[in-house]
Amino acid sequence: MAHRYLFEQMVRRELRQKYRGSALGVLWYVINPLVLMGAYYLMFGVIFKAASEPDYPLFLLVGLVVWVFFSQAVLSAAPSLLDHGALVRKARFPRETIPASVVTVHCVTFLALLALLAPVTLAIRGTLDVALVLLPLILACLFAFVLGFALAVSILHAYFRDVAPILSAALLPWFFLSPIFFRPESITEQPAARFVLEWVNPVAPFIGAVRDVVYGGTAPGLAELAYVVVVAALVLLGGRALFRRLQGELAVVV
Amino acid sequence: MTQIEGLRPGEIVLEHASRSFSVRADRGRTLKELLIGKRRAGGPPPVQALRDVSLHIEPGETVGMVGRNGAGKSSTLRVLAGIVPLDSGRVGCGGQVVSQLELGAGFGRDFSGRENIFLNGALHGLNKEQIEARLDAIVEFSELGDFIDAPVATYSSGMFLRLGFSIAAHLDADVLLIDEVLAVGDEAFQRKCEARIAEQIAGGATLVLVSHDAALIERTCERLVVLDGGEKVFDGPVAEGMPFYHRLMGTAEPVRSP
Repeated sequence: MAHRYLFEQMVRRELRQKYRGSALGVLWYVINPLVLMGAYYLMFGVIFKAASEPDYPLFLLVGLVVWVFFSQAVLSAAPSLLDHGALVRKARFPRETIPASVVTVHCVTFLALLALLAPVTLAIRGTLDVALVLLPLILACLFAFVLGFALAVSILHAYFRDVAPILSAALLPWFFLSPIFFRPESITEQPAARFVLEWVNPVAPFIGAVRDVVYGGTAPGLAELAYVVVVAALVLLGGRALFRRLQGELAVVV
Repeated sequence: MTQIEGLRPGEIVLEHASRSFSVRADRGRTLKELLIGKRRAGGPPPVQALRDVSLHIEPGETVGMVGRNGAGKSSTLRVLAGIVPLDSGRVGCGGQVVSQLELGAGFGRDFSGRENIFLNGALHGLNKEQIEARLDAIVEFSELGDFIDAPVATYSSGMFLRLGFSIAAHLDADVLLIDEVLAVGDEAFQRKCEARIAEQIAGGATLVLVSHDAALIERTCERLVVLDGGEKVFDGPVAEGMPFYHRLMGTAEPVRSP
């Protein structure tokens, strides 16, 4: 990759700019998801026990950490091209590096949280299994999926300023429909509803796959694994194609 | 839009280039317009910034570009820099293109001057080793001394511009595109900038300079392009072009002392 060094610099810039001057600095990247996860844990793990999974807090947190990465990354990527307007208007460089650096910073946070959560889960649940070797593949697919989605959202938002507000409005119901604090099979018997919850929502199989490996100690089903790989590739290629197609006028519209 | 490939380093070609801009206050389209499938009516018509402009600049040429405000000078530079695409026509620049459209545009305000050198170098496609090799020359040229390790947010505007120019001036450009940014710092530093540009030209770089400073253009450029209303109305030696430009602007030629 010819622009590896530029990408590295943009990630550094992203890390420094976002919480500049704040006392806790980059720690906010970890504190935000932690607070969010604490609130959801209180809500669904303690007050309304939404499902009767063993070690329910761990079930919940493993799903939540994936969702928080997805939602925070795409939400901050959406306005990123406009935030860097001065740069886009006056300099020529591969513009993909802007949303990509945003996603990367959130991915690092996600990996840090997962590194805290996974060993605890593996120890308490006793789920250390060879299936764990699939985790890097699943995480790579998750990153590709989020990156492709973020590329599409950021370039669309540059042209149509309604995209970020629509996205942030959609993320809340999307969260409740994602299998984070429940399993689809435990809340509905209807095959159609289960199909929608499990397969139509593209985030669901990613949550499922990570949870299978870390919380369940088993390899994801073949269908789920294939879904994760294929959707990641499609979303990344689609997002990149859309970005390249639309980026021509970027310096004029931002 | 078509990009012309395979030019010699320093060669610039513009063929029948046209470009218009919408001048609506809110330039972004809304999703509603997209779904309904029409753009809001009313408002001023688009402005034609470039009208069928053709230009061929050989490696090593020094070209000044003048015209009134809104004549299309900056648009031409942005098109040459590859930042804005054309509606029709073709454009190409050979070799490493360094555009100074706004000095320090990409600076991170919380980064030190030194860190911004790396960030800015990376934006121009250099890698870490290439930037490190130029670091000392850039720091020395900028005359920032110990301030180079202070955040640029603490810089005066002059220091900010000096750093921006120093970086751009050390990127081994084949094509230099400069937009009205030479009024950098004090008079001594301006002379230093001009000398540095002359050095790069002597090294074979092509210069396209947009400025309202006729004297500066006469000092640095051999060829003049006058734009008016998005059209090229003059292209030739500076000595002939300047009187034309002054007539166009309705100003008599500056009185020269004998």
